[in-house]
Amino acid sequence: MLSDLGLHVLLALGEGPSHGYAIGKAIEDQSGGRLNPTTGALYQALRRLSQDGLITEADGPKDVDARRRYFTLTARGRRAASGEAAGLDALVRTARKRRLFPQRA
Amino acid sequence: MRIYRRLLRAAAPSLSRQYGAAMEETLDVRWRQARGRQRIRICCREGVALLGLAWAERLGERARRARRQQQVVAGGKARTMDTLGQEMRQAARRLRRSPSFSAATVLTLALAIGANAAIFAVVERVIIRPLPYPESDRLIELDHGSVALRIANGLGNTPGVYFIYKNRSQSIESAALYGLVARTLSDGGDPRRVRAVAATPSLSTVLRTQPSLGRWFTETEGVPGAPVVAVLSDGLWTRQFGRDPSIIGRSIVLDGHPVEVVGVMTPEFAFPDPATELWLPAQMSAAQGFGLFSQPGIARLREGVALETARAELQGLLVGIADAYPDDPRARSNVNTKLTFTGRLLKDATLGNISRTLWLLWAAVGVVLLVAGANIANLFMVRAEVRQREVAIRRALGAARLGLGRYFFTESALLSATGGALGLLIAWVGLRLLVQAGPSTLPRLHEIQMDAIVVGYVFVWVAVSALAFGSLPLWRGVPMTALHESGRGNTLTRHRHQVRHVLLGAQVAMALVLLLASGLMVRSFQNLRAIDLGFNPDSTLAFSINLPPAKYSTVETMIAAHTTIIDRVAVLPGVASVSATTCLPLSMGCSGNTIVVEGEVYPPGTLPPTSLVRAVGGGYFETMGMRILRGRGIERGDVDRKEPVAVISQAMARRVFNDRDPIGLRLAPNQPPAPDGTRRLEWLTVVGVVSDTPIQRDLPESQPSAMLFMPMPFAVTGTRIGPSASIMNFVVRTSASPESLTAPVREAIRSLDADLAVAQLNTLQAMVDRASARMSFTMVLLAIAALSALALGVVGIYGVTAYIVTQRTSEIGIRLALGAEPTGITSQIVMKGGFVALIGIAVGLAAALAGGQLIASVLYGVSPRDPAVFASTAIALQAIALLACWLPARRASQLNPTIALRAE
Repeated sequence: MLSDLGLHVLLALGEGPSHGYAIGKAIEDQSGGRLNPTTGALYQALRRLSQDGLITEADGPKDVDARRRYFTLTARGRRAASGEAAGLDALVRTARKRRLFPQRA
Repeated sequence: MRIYRRLLRAAAPSLSRQYGAAMEETLDVRWRQARGRQRIRICCREGVALLGLAWAERLGERARRARRQQQVVAGGKARTMDTLGQEMRQAARRLRRSPSFSAATVLTLALAIGANAAIFAVVERVIIRPLPYPESDRLIELDHGSVALRIANGLGNTPGVYFIYKNRSQSIESAALYGLVARTLSDGGDPRRVRAVAATPSLSTVLRTQPSLGRWFTETEGVPGAPVVAVLSDGLWTRQFGRDPSIIGRSIVLDGHPVEVVGVMTPEFAFPDPATELWLPAQMSAAQGFGLFSQPGIARLREGVALETARAELQGLLVGIADAYPDDPRARSNVNTKLTFTGRLLKDATLGNISRTLWLLWAAVGVVLLVAGANIANLFMVRAEVRQREVAIRRALGAARLGLGRYFFTESALLSATGGALGLLIAWVGLRLLVQAGPSTLPRLHEIQMDAIVVGYVFVWVAVSALAFGSLPLWRGVPMTALHESGRGNTLTRHRHQVRHVLLGAQVAMALVLLLASGLMVRSFQNLRAIDLGFNPDSTLAFSINLPPAKYSTVETMIAAHTTIIDRVAVLPGVASVSATTCLPLSMGCSGNTIVVEGEVYPPGTLPPTSLVRAVGGGYFETMGMRILRGRGIERGDVDRKEPVAVISQAMARRVFNDRDPIGLRLAPNQPPAPDGTRRLEWLTVVGVVSDTPIQRDLPESQPSAMLFMPMPFAVTGTRIGPSASIMNFVVRTSASPESLTAPVREAIRSLDADLAVAQLNTLQAMVDRASARMSFTMVLLAIAALSALALGVVGIYGVTAYIVTQRTSEIGIRLALGAEPTGITSQIVMKGGFVALIGIAVGLAAALAGGQLIASVLYGVSPRDPAVFASTAIALQAIALLACWLPARRASQLNPTIALRAE
């Protein structure tokens, strides 16, 4: 089962390989400021996702800080993210049908 | 960010192994992107997250261990390893077994951290963020001084200057003038004096604040002739109108006129001070002429403009005021006074020297924390020594050094956390007391509360103390090397005692510094108390009446009303005498002016001497208990017949008449020339000289202010210069207790005019006490800090000596058995302790001498290096230290040698 933060990490990596700070920033942007994970929480999520095989480490550019680590989606991660999104989409459609969510203009 | 890495390694070792470097890098970038408060936020959030990680790690470890244990049990070999949780539980059990050690540590820490956090909360809100407005570092005060009048600053502004700055200045973005006005609010219930501020509509632009309800004034409402509207404070809205939102658009009755309410400000908005209840538009236009200096003003600097640049530019603009107002002779005469622009940053102007006081208090509680830390360090060292045997056994059985570290860390973490939690509680209580007792001049005092930053501050101290005390036994962990040595501590304690003595000496030094500071404060306070008030505040009641101009439009009707009030109150039972003044002592300047002496010539470019001017009722000096030094006072007949007489203060007699007998000479408060260039002066004949009265108490003037008293009918209204006739302060000298007269006085005023509000009804003594509130506030807090440091220090000296005596019991026993004199042993121990204290005192004295200037600005009439205070404090502290050594030392000499030897 994907956590809220986990899904956001996968979404952030949907744009391509990225590193810790950029992922954190992307999550803050794409959640409209609702989520702003601490460094600790972010890496805990990253570790969980790599243990589950949803993301993996990638090579980064040569000229950056040596401590920086890059992550990228695995095929499994891609499937998990789109599966989750499909589930959410179904939820939204049901909510619309029951008039619990604004109709599309 | 190395700290983060270390903390991470301690909190979550596995995550740190895997991603430590990357996490450090990420946090580095975040840190660089953040500014100021965001950084504090990051510290707090990451700190809490680390705790969460530690928790998660522990859970994970436990799950793994459970699995492994099952395997091990399956293998037939059962063995449990220590976990963090178990260690904690064990540590708690150990601490429960030594309740006195735990209680002493927790309480000392709680008090020190609590006091620290409470003062920090005040410092943080009052000094670091004194102004609750966006980009408040660009706000400046608009103020002027005069070289010719020898007035350094505080003149304020005139509308003329304001319009020049507003229209011509490049360095300021917006400017506003404001002024305190008294209004009587009669809305249904009893009429009530409200503290109102008349401000130019630009005020909200300058401060960048908007009402929480309705709107602020429009520019057109700030033009003369526009209908008057009002904006309420959140407090007034709550108290008077029950937070009814329909107040917007409704009319309230101010000074007898209906005024429409257009807005309600936010609760935080407290400009210029928290007591302000109502804002009205100040209506002015450039066409009204140059005007008089009186109104305070503020401005917002343009982005990137420094205060110095603005100062230089505005100073330059002052030269042009005569040309800008060619028809107004006041503009030219103001140029003659050599005006200077003296505006400061609004932050500095608001804080004044309060910030110095608060930093001082913070430093004081910081020192208390250090003294407390030294005590706790001692306790921990003793504990480590007592535990030496147990530790040695653990080591012998193969416990790693890391495991031993955990042994002490868990204890210190538990104690620090408990102490911190209790400290938060103490801080919360302390803060309530501070806010209640603090002087009302502290900006944002009413907003001070425990917030996340204060909690974070406590958290930091808890972490620091947990690390410091936990690592202490490890740092001096050398002696815990071998089992065979641990049984006899008496042979290798020399090094340990040295550490202890250094701590002890430091405690004495710090306690001395605090005692000196508070001793100097007490001396200052005594000096302030000893200043001659010039009047007698016993058995007197004072109150203030503001006559609404709608009903009382001329000076004559006002004076008649004031006289009626005096007559009505005078006949109340218990009243000895009644009089009135436009300005009470200790109420700052009120009204001042230049004074022209008849026959004196003032060449162009020079100005007549200045003086404060008050209009008073008959028998004012007698009622106040002021001493008439020469001639006579102002009598009822002078007031009733409007006799042109004046009584001057001693300072004025000295300064203006240079010991020439002033009685019979004539003088006149200056008036600006009329447009035709002529001056209309009202000459007054000096009939008496009275004792000086101070205008403030916290920062006494180096010289008393010159003062001129004239009969009440010479007060003025409208734009004439002089004391205003509409607001009068009445003084009642009573034969009964002054408090018993408050109700009859209110009733007497109500029977005269039900629309009049009785304001500031209080005894003169209460007013005197309030005037010295800040000094006593500082003194009391410093004294509490100093006494806590002293108590902690004494406990430390006593404890260490007692401990050393216990350690040396067998040695002393041997010596006694060999025939040593008991008194010799006592004096040896006392000498040793006394010597350490003496060195501590020497260091403390040196520190106090070096840091004297830091406290000089809050002292009065005493040098920061006052020899009497220094000598008496040092001697007293040395005596107390010797006593604290002697008590346990005496016990040593009374040892029975056989029992002492058996202690082995």
